[in-house]
Amino acid sequence: METVISINGLSVSYERKRVLTNIYLEIEAGKVYGLIGPNGAGKSTLFKAILGLVDTNSGNVSVMGKPIEKMRKQLVYVPQTSEVDWNFPATVFDIVLMGRYPHKKLFQKLDQHDHELAIEALNKLGIEHLKERQIGELSGGQQQRVFLARTLCQGADIFLLDEPFVGVDITTEEKIIDLLKELSQQGKTILVIHHDLSSVTEYFDRVILLNQRLIAAGDTDITFTEENIAITYRSQLPILHQTGLLGK
Amino acid sequence: MSELFEILQQEWAVRALMASSMVGLMCGVLGCFIVLRNMSLVGDALSHAILPGVVFAYMIVGYSALGFFTGAVLAGLVTAVGITWIQHNVRTKNDAAVGIVFTAMFSIGVMGISWISKNAGVHLDLKDFLFGNVLGVADTDLYLTGIITLYVLLSIAVFYRYLFVTTFQPVIAETMGISVKLIHYFLMLLLSFAVVASLQTVGVILVVAMLITPASTALLLSDKLRWVIVLAGIIGLLSAIVGLLLAIIFETTPGPAMAVTATFFYLIAVFFAPNRGLLFQYFHRKRLGHKIKLEDLLKQAFRLQGKGELTLPKLEERLGIKGIRLQNLINSLRKKGLWQKGQIALSPQGMKQGNRMVRAHRLWETYLVNQIGLSAEQIHEEAEKYEHLLSDEMLDEVDQVLGFPTIDPHGSPIPGKYGIPSFPLSRMEVLQKARIAQQQINEHITAQLWQFGLLPDTAFSINEKNDQHIHIQLGDKSVELPTELARKINVVIEN
Repeated sequence: METVISINGLSVSYERKRVLTNIYLEIEAGKVYGLIGPNGAGKSTLFKAILGLVDTNSGNVSVMGKPIEKMRKQLVYVPQTSEVDWNFPATVFDIVLMGRYPHKKLFQKLDQHDHELAIEALNKLGIEHLKERQIGELSGGQQQRVFLARTLCQGADIFLLDEPFVGVDITTEEKIIDLLKELSQQGKTILVIHHDLSSVTEYFDRVILLNQRLIAAGDTDITFTEENIAITYRSQLPILHQTGLLGK
Repeated sequence: MSELFEILQQEWAVRALMASSMVGLMCGVLGCFIVLRNMSLVGDALSHAILPGVVFAYMIVGYSALGFFTGAVLAGLVTAVGITWIQHNVRTKNDAAVGIVFTAMFSIGVMGISWISKNAGVHLDLKDFLFGNVLGVADTDLYLTGIITLYVLLSIAVFYRYLFVTTFQPVIAETMGISVKLIHYFLMLLLSFAVVASLQTVGVILVVAMLITPASTALLLSDKLRWVIVLAGIIGLLSAIVGLLLAIIFETTPGPAMAVTATFFYLIAVFFAPNRGLLFQYFHRKRLGHKIKLEDLLKQAFRLQGKGELTLPKLEERLGIKGIRLQNLINSLRKKGLWQKGQIALSPQGMKQGNRMVRAHRLWETYLVNQIGLSAEQIHEEAEKYEHLLSDEMLDEVDQVLGFPTIDPHGSPIPGKYGIPSFPLSRMEVLQKARIAQQQINEHITAQLWQFGLLPDTAFSINEKNDQHIHIQLGDKSVELPTELARKINVVIEN
């Protein structure tokens, strides 16, 4: 199986606080990965390190054997929707078209082809009718679909999604997971930060359990065991049982 | 009026008009990004902070437009870098950092001016720097303003995509390989340019008005960034021209007149803008309030009429609305054909609407209990609010998610989309005969009946009943129906 991202001895800290310690990880093409861990486990930081957005203390990340700076076009990132200014004067179509920006040189205009790709992406997510809406007028599920449409429009090979199911209705959640599975069958690689433990086995081919250190990574049915979850969440386990987050 | 026309024939007036127009246009356009990036305070700071640059340039090369320009841009960049450096490296709040840097720079500039006035034997008027002196614009100033305006507008056109994505989602810009920092400093550079060009027209104190007021006005008028930019440019241009003309007519200072005009346009937008204007929102809220009252009336009338107890006093008691005001609401329903003429009764159409309201309320209560996990005591108030906001499609979706429930958490029946079964199959006795009714409570029930071979008008009888199931005889075959489903099936009893 082809390795698309390889992380070698990665450590990251903010100010003086260690967030990630000595991570070694290989991500393979054509799989849907769930990145699981408690709050403050460094899940978003790992994403940012893969994307080359944070300074690392040691170690490195390579994408298809090259440094990230050379592979930017191949990676798309969907940050948490809570970080977005929903009053911004932008329509759904404007946002989706943004996916075409990395393909354009400074003086190159967006052309008919770019518009067609954007429409295609909107269609795929079933939101073409919302094209001219201002983004703040949409429901949570629709907003998440817009950002996914943008990533589709970009035509990348690797998708990084930070909690895409937060604030999203059930129909949209199903739609998104179906789409991610379809993309992985086309050979795309998908990484999802996820917090609902009860749906992990259903959603992901592989899991990465993280709590500042790498706890375990591998096929979901082998790796996502009660024992590994216990190590990842340590003291929080009784709470998980009580709230039923672990499922049966 | 003819006097104004005569003044406008004079060269100084034409120059003033040209300079103001360019500044208005440029500041309006550039201001959109300043406002959207929450950098209004930084814009204000930068405009004050260029003062020492201009003053030092005067000390070194004397009165020269190009000298002022260079000094101002340098001072602007020092300020921008200084503010960013403090914000990143020192434990000082962001806006405090802005305040510290610009007041220090501005003070140095003011001290410089008084030093020149005292020691160099030249009287420099501080007022000209603070509020501009558009009536004294020279040809070189005009050329410089022209070049700067062209440069700023072209830059924004060329870098539009970069500005858009870095302003909207800096993280995404970074993942695309766009340097957010570089764009930030580039914008600061453009801002310094704009401030220098505005120095003669509106002065350093008021340039921020030309930057943020037209842009804020435009943001109230459109949801599309391109249009916001175009509108801000036009509004900036108009503010400058109208302000200048007013200043000439009333013989007052042009800079403040432009700022006041820009504010006037802003206030018009605040009150009258479509969708976002206060007036529009006031009427919208009033309409919504009226709609809620009508829907509450429909709901209560529907429930009372169902029990055969619909009278005016009962309605007054339930709604807390009395006399003429209740009568007015009833008249509104009558006009919409939802209330019977000359009677105290809902029309068939009104009954349908009332059914919808009760359904919305009870479905939402069920949703809050089953899906969100609230207790039955908490939900009534919530449902009272939301029943008015749920669209038909949303109701159908909630209904489906809940599995078409028949009873809400308080034990009251939840009507289907087309009402409650007038006679549910579950109420039939053993050996009683009936036919499947044409009208079921929703399409989902009709579809389920199809699967059991129970088409409308199919005759059947009851074989056996227990808690879980009802066995019915259908011609020569027997079908077992879950009791839960049987509660939702509408039948017509055969005698």
